Amino acid sequence: MEYAGLAVVFLLALLIALGQAFLNDLIGYRKPDPMEDYPYECGVPLYDESVRGRFKQGYYLLGLLLILFDIEAAYLFPWAVVFEEIGLYGLVEALLFVGILALGFLYAWRKGALDWEL
Amino acid sequence: MERELIESLLFTVLKVLVVVPVALGVGAYLTWFERKLAGHIQNRMGPTVVGPFGLLQPLADALKLATKESVIPRGADRPVYYLAILLALVPSVLLLALIPWGPAFELGGRVIKPIISDVNVALLLAFAFGSLSVYGTIFSGWASNSKYAFIGSMRKAAVVIAYEVVLGFSVLGVVLLAGTLSTVGIVQAQIERGVWFILYQPVAFVLYMFCMLAESGRVPFDVQEAEAELVTGYNVEYGGMKFGAFPLAEWYLNVIALSAIAVVLFFGGWSGPSILGPLSPYFWFLVKTFGLVFFTMWLHWTLPRFQAKDITDVAWKILLPVAIANVVVTAVVKYFF
Repeated sequence: MEYAGLAVVFLLALLIALGQAFLNDLIGYRKPDPMEDYPYECGVPLYDESVRGRFKQGYYLLGLLLILFDIEAAYLFPWAVVFEEIGLYGLVEALLFVGILALGFLYAWRKGALDWEL
Repeated sequence: MERELIESLLFTVLKVLVVVPVALGVGAYLTWFERKLAGHIQNRMGPTVVGPFGLLQPLADALKLATKESVIPRGADRPVYYLAILLALVPSVLLLALIPWGPAFELGGRVIKPIISDVNVALLLAFAFGSLSVYGTIFSGWASNSKYAFIGSMRKAAVVIAYEVVLGFSVLGVVLLAGTLSTVGIVQAQIERGVWFILYQPVAFVLYMFCMLAESGRVPFDVQEAEAELVTGYNVEYGGMKFGAFPLAEWYLNVIALSAIAVVLFFGGWSGPSILGPLSPYFWFLVKTFGLVFFTMWLHWTLPRFQAKDITDVAWKILLPVAIANVVVTAVVKYFF
């Protein structure tokens, strides 16, 4: 039943967001101008018609690292919740797990994955 | 049975209809507060013209935003362009469902919990929603077909994913101490011990504050806006109410929700001396939350901005090792003492 609350909030939020997204199309005033939808770039005609071309690889590298470390963090959440019940076994296991994670982290660091390469 | 189900659903809807509009209204009025605060920090007056003390300014702004013409840049990916607005706003509103505003109380023979959905994975859900809202930023930059927007959204993505990891590790310390992921449970753990977790986890709190500023795109981590170089970055090609959704979600709702979660994790939630009778838990919760919101705004108008490269460097090379060490030390200390 508690999850129903989330569903209700989701519906209301969706309604509000749809309202915000389409309000101007409904009640905003309309006076089309031939150049009003031209993307601007320092006041000169565009060099590239589309900007979705190449971008810096550093962003991609950081994205890869996120997948690694965020999933590790997600594994540690259930461990933290039941920490008191599982005792020494859980502690040692988690220390090993974090140790391996730290090794991977040091490897990425030494390889220069954390440096913002230009 | 049937009747009970309908009744509890009705109560849930009622709670949602109280919390969400109030939070949105407060979010809108925080724009006024922020402009006033910024004005006084910079030795100006802030808004003064519309209404007494400029109090009607947010309404005037909303009216202006609502009547603007809808302009979508040519070459924009229209479905994604609209989807970005939904993805920015919906997760920020969903965060509000997980915040416990006060202790459960009895009214007319039934127990009422002042939280919309008291689930046992609340904290995990909160971080999931926090991560989801980054899609709003990335999609808006990608769909806009503008270089400023595109660069802004990529920067934001880099910052948010770096701080996601630190955030996950920083709250692990508190979860270890409390032994639960439920927001209500964490507050009760602190009340039972009679101590706020900030005393046991000061390092985690500092890390959390860093992450909160980064996730909500506040100074000193607002590289995705960077008005001097990117003219507000990822949302530059949005106009009218479409534009209004982004700062509302990111700067106001996210900051309120993340501050409230910080209060739950580190400041004992609604605990505090009973000075207002049955209303005092709500009073203390709101005071602590808006204290943090105020602190965030104060930083915003006082500090300069980091470079994108420095921000990710700080996250990966300093904060992440500190966060991992904090988790290990907490676990070991908790096991042996």
